[in-house]
Amino acid sequence: MLTHVDDRFESADAEAEHRTASLHREFGGPLRRHVRGLTGNDLRWTEDVVREAIGKAGRDPARRHWEPGLLWAWLVTEARRLVRDGCRRDGVHAQETAADGADRALSAIVVSAALRDLSEEHREVIEQTYLRGRTISEAAEILGIPPGTVKSRLYYGIKALRALLADKGVAG
Amino acid sequence: MHEGVAAYVLGVLDEDEHEAFERHLDTCASCQAELKELAETPDLLDELKFLPAASEDDPPMPMPR
Ligand SMILES: [Zn+2]
Repeated sequence: MLTHVDDRFESADAEAEHRTASLHREFGGPLRRHVRGLTGNDLRWTEDVVREAIGKAGRDPARRHWEPGLLWAWLVTEARRLVRDGCRRDGVHAQETAADGADRALSAIVVSAALRDLSEEHREVIEQTYLRGRTISEAAEILGIPPGTVKSRLYYGIKALRALLADKGVAG
Repeated sequence: MHEGVAAYVLGVLDEDEHEAFERHLDTCASCQAELKELAETPDLLDELKFLPAASEDDPPMPMPR
């Protein structure tokens, strides 16, 4: 039971536990809502992903001094990776939630139009990695270009996509 | 190394590169800023699943011009 113990006297384990609990309080609710969108509202899977992502952040001393905006960006990125790993491992697709279909179809059309406006090289690497569920090296093999080139094109492609979407009023 | 931030955000780095990038991210202020900027972009790409023509076996691709 830790009441008011100076950080320096806590063991590394107790400190990680403490940190994890505080991250759960700060980010647990919003992260759970976000992850439910990725798992197709699978509550047990969502809970596992949230616990694993927050636990990893809590154990890592390098994350200790990050500000909330950066921590949130890291948490959603880690959670997405965990969901995708789960899909790849089990060969399942997260169920799509049927909610607000019309709005989603509309954003889908906007995003699809923005992809079409990208250069062929940029569009190709986004399709062959993220949209096909492939890693950089898998995509590199399929495209017959070095992994470093895929990675670099992906960087500039994603930046270009973001700029196009910002012009269309998405991703402000 | 900095260019890896897009692949990292999209979760398409291979395992060893993912670990390496996370260590880079610990201290690289410019990648931290880009992570914040790009963190929501995969959600936008996920919207493509809601294209009217989307089907499970054939992930939605933009039509050729
Ligand atoms: Zn960097």
